[in-house]
Amino acid sequence: MIIKGGIVYDPTNGIFGEEMDIFLDGGKVVEEAKGEEIDAQGLLVMPGGVDAHTHIAGTKVNTGRIMRPEDARSGLEPKTKILRPCTGYTVPNCYAIGYRYARMGYTTVFEAATPILEARHTHEELEEIPIVDKGALTLFGSNWEVLECVRDGDLDKLAAYVAWGLRASRGYGVKVVNPGGGEAWGFGGNVKGLDDPVPNFDTTPREIIRGLVKANEMLNLPHSVHLHTNNLGKPGNYTTALETLDIVKDIAPTRDRQVLHVTHMQFSSYGGTGWRDFKSEAPQIAEYFNRNDHVTMDMGQLIFGNATTMTADAPLEYSNARLLHAKWSNHDIELEESSGVVPLVYGRKMPINAIQWAIGLELALLTESPWKTLLTTDHPNGGPFVNYPEVITLLMSGAKREEEMATLHELVAKRTVLPTIEREMDWGDIAVMTRAAPAKVLGLAEKGHLGVGADADVTVYDLRPEKIDPARDHKRVKEALGRVKYTIKGGEVVVRDGEIVAVPRGRTYWVDASVPEKDAERVQADLVDKFDKYYSIQKSNYMVQDAYVTNPVVVKAGVI
Amino acid sequence: MREIAIVPLQEFEVPLEAENIRPDLFATLSLEEIRDLEVWEGNRKRVLSDLFSVADDDGTGECLIRLDGDFSRVKRIGEGMREGKILVRGNVGMRAGSGMHGGSMQIEGDAGDWLGREMRGGSINVKGNAGNYVGSRYWGERCGMRGGEIKIEGSAGAYLGDHICGGRIVVKGDAGDFPGASNRGGAITIGGDAHLPGAEMVSGAIVVKGRARVLPSYGFQETAEIEGKLLWKFVGDLVEKGKGELYVALVEDDGQLDK
Repeated sequence: MIIKGGIVYDPTNGIFGEEMDIFLDGGKVVEEAKGEEIDAQGLLVMPGGVDAHTHIAGTKVNTGRIMRPEDARSGLEPKTKILRPCTGYTVPNCYAIGYRYARMGYTTVFEAATPILEARHTHEELEEIPIVDKGALTLFGSNWEVLECVRDGDLDKLAAYVAWGLRASRGYGVKVVNPGGGEAWGFGGNVKGLDDPVPNFDTTPREIIRGLVKANEMLNLPHSVHLHTNNLGKPGNYTTALETLDIVKDIAPTRDRQVLHVTHMQFSSYGGTGWRDFKSEAPQIAEYFNRNDHVTMDMGQLIFGNATTMTADAPLEYSNARLLHAKWSNHDIELEESSGVVPLVYGRKMPINAIQWAIGLELALLTESPWKTLLTTDHPNGGPFVNYPEVITLLMSGAKREEEMATLHELVAKRTVLPTIEREMDWGDIAVMTRAAPAKVLGLAEKGHLGVGADADVTVYDLRPEKIDPARDHKRVKEALGRVKYTIKGGEVVVRDGEIVAVPRGRTYWVDASVPEKDAERVQADLVDKFDKYYSIQKSNYMVQDAYVTNPVVVKAGVI
Repeated sequence: MREIAIVPLQEFEVPLEAENIRPDLFATLSLEEIRDLEVWEGNRKRVLSDLFSVADDDGTGECLIRLDGDFSRVKRIGEGMREGKILVRGNVGMRAGSGMHGGSMQIEGDAGDWLGREMRGGSINVKGNAGNYVGSRYWGERCGMRGGEIKIEGSAGAYLGDHICGGRIVVKGDAGDFPGASNRGGAITIGGDAHLPGAEMVSGAIVVKGRARVLPSYGFQETAEIEGKLLWKFVGDLVEKGKGELYVALVEDDGQLDK
C-alpha cells in the first residue's frame, strides 16, 4: 500500500510537515511497496494514535457499566453488516471502545490499572475490543508481597515478584496507585504523605515507590513505573507531587526513557488548604518538568459533563461519594488493592471543576517539551476519550480557550494562569503528545512513528495543514479529528471517511521478564504460604492462561 | 388544527419502536414525509406507511395525532414531544410520553409501563389503567418526572413516580408497591390503596386516600384534612433525613408504628 502525497508529521524521525509518500507492506512501514494507493494529497498524515493511559477493560469498568444503566442510554449505534451494536458514553461497551478509538485515528491503547487477581476479566474484555492493539498495566502499589519485600529491603525478591506478577496478569508494566493507601483502606484509613507508615507493614509510600522503580529498572522493563500519586485529588497536593518526582531523581533508567511516569497530573497539581481556597499550582509542576528530564506525565484533562471515576484509590472514591452524595462502589481486592467507582458530573459553573479544567491545559501548555506531557483525559475519570479532539483544539487555539473560559465560573481567571497563556500548539506538538511520546514512554519501539520497521498504523486526517489555521478554524479541526479520513491499522484500511470499513482483531502486549532462578524460588515459597492462608482462590487458578490472550505480543525483558 | 389519523394495518407480533409518532415532528412534515418516517419493528427498520395507514385532513395550525386501534405493542409514542396533541382510542405500549416537555396526550384505553418517564412538562390523561413506573426515572438516573401532570382514571402499577423530582401524578384507583420512592419534590395523589409509599422520600408529598402500609422510618405528626377527608400525616423518610409529607387515610398497622 502507498499513502501518497500526505503532509507527514512523524516527530520520532524528525519529520514535521513534509510532503512524502508512505509505503506499507506486511503490516510494517517499508522503503518501497506496491499495491493499493491511498490519495492523501495535501492531507495531514500521522502515525496511528497511542493512548498510554485509559480505563477500558476490567472489573471496575464493568462495575461502572452496572452502576450506570443510564449511561448506556447515550452513544447508541445500531449494528450494521460489520459492526456490533454500541452503547454508552463514559463506560461504553467493548465494541464501541474499539470503533471510537479507530474513528479518531487511534490504533494502540493501554488499560492503566489491573490487579493480578482480576486480570483474567481484563483480558476477556480486551479480547472483545476490536481493531486497536492493547495492553494492560498491573497494579503493585499496595500488594502484600511488594510491601514485605520493600520493608525487608529485598530488591531481588521484589523484582522476581514483579516479573511473576506481570506474567500472572499478562501485564505490560508496573502501575502504582496511591502506594500503601489501598492497604490502609482495608482498615478505613489512608496514607497521608510519602512518609506516612502503611499499617501493619512498617514501610512507607516513599519506600514503595523507590523500591518498585528500582525493581522496574533491574528488570529492564520497556515501560517505567506508572504512578498515581499519594493525596491525589486533594487541595494542596502539589507538594506531594513535587516531592514524589524528586525522590526518584537519583535512580538511573536502564532504557532510553523516563524513570517514572506520573499519570493524570491534573489531579495532583492542586494548591490551597481546602476547597474554599482551592487553586492551580500547575505552573510549579510544569516548571519542575522544564528543569528535569527524568520524569514524564499525562494531562488527565477534565471534560465538562458526565464522567465515571474509577480508581484503585479507594479512599479518594469514598470522599468523592460523600462530598457529592453520589453512587459509590467500593471494592476490596484481597492482598492486592482496594478500589472504587463513583459517577459524577463536572459542571462549567462549579468553581472547582472549572479550575480543574484549566489545570490540565496549563500543565500541557506551560511544559515546554511536548515529549513530557501526554494527552489523556484519564478516560473516564476526567472525561470520556471521545473528547480528545476537544482537548487538541483547546491546546491549538487560544481563541477556543477564551470562548470556553467565558462560559465557566469566574474563579477560573483568578485561581489559574490559563488566561495569560498565549501558547498555541502546532501539529508537531500534537503528533508528539498523541503518538511519538506515548509510544516512547511505554517503550513501544514499533509504535508512534512511521520509520521503516514501524507497525503500519497510520492516520490520515481530512485536514490540509497548509491551508487551515487550527487557531482560528477550531470547529472544523475538531470535527475532522473526530472523524478521520483514513485509519490504517496493521496495513489494513479500517476507517474510511469516518466510517469503520474493516474490523480486524488487535493484539495484546505483555511483558515476560526473566529473573534468577533462586529469586523466583524464594517468591514462590512466599506465595504458597499466602495462597494457603489468605487468598480466596488457589494459586493454580490464579494465573491468566494463554487462552485469554489469544493474539499476544510477548515482549522479553529481565535481569539476565 | 391539522389532524393526522393513524390506524394499524395489522396486529403486531413484535414490539415497535415508534418515537417518531409525535405531533411537533409531524407539524413540520408533509404527509409523504410522515409516511416515510422510520419505525423499528423488532430489529427491522420500516417506515410508518409499511405498518399503518396515515391520513391527513390538511388542516393548519396545531397538530393532533389520532391513533385508532390497538397500539399496546407500539412503544415510545409521543416521546420527547414539546407541543401538539395525541389522542389514542385504544391502548398504548411502553414509554408513551416519556421525556415529554409539553403538549398533551389523551389515552382512552390502558397505558403500558414507563408512561411519562422523566417527563418535564405537558399533560397525560389515561382513562384506563397504567403499568409500572409511571412518571418514574429510567434505572440509574437521578430524577424521574420533573414537571407536568399525569392523571390516571384507573389504577397504576408498581414504582409510581419513582425518583419524581417535580410535577404531579393523580391516580383515581390503587397504586402498587413503592409509589413515590425517593421523591424529591413531586406531588402524588392516590385515590385507592398503596403499599409502602415514599421510601427514601426527601421532599414533596404523597397522599393515599385509601389504605396503605407505612414504613417504620416515618414519623407520625398530626391528623390533617385534605379535600374533606381526615388523614394521618407522617413526615419522612427519616433514613434520608427527609422532610417529605405522607398522608394516609387508613394505616395498615403491624404494631411497629409509634403513633
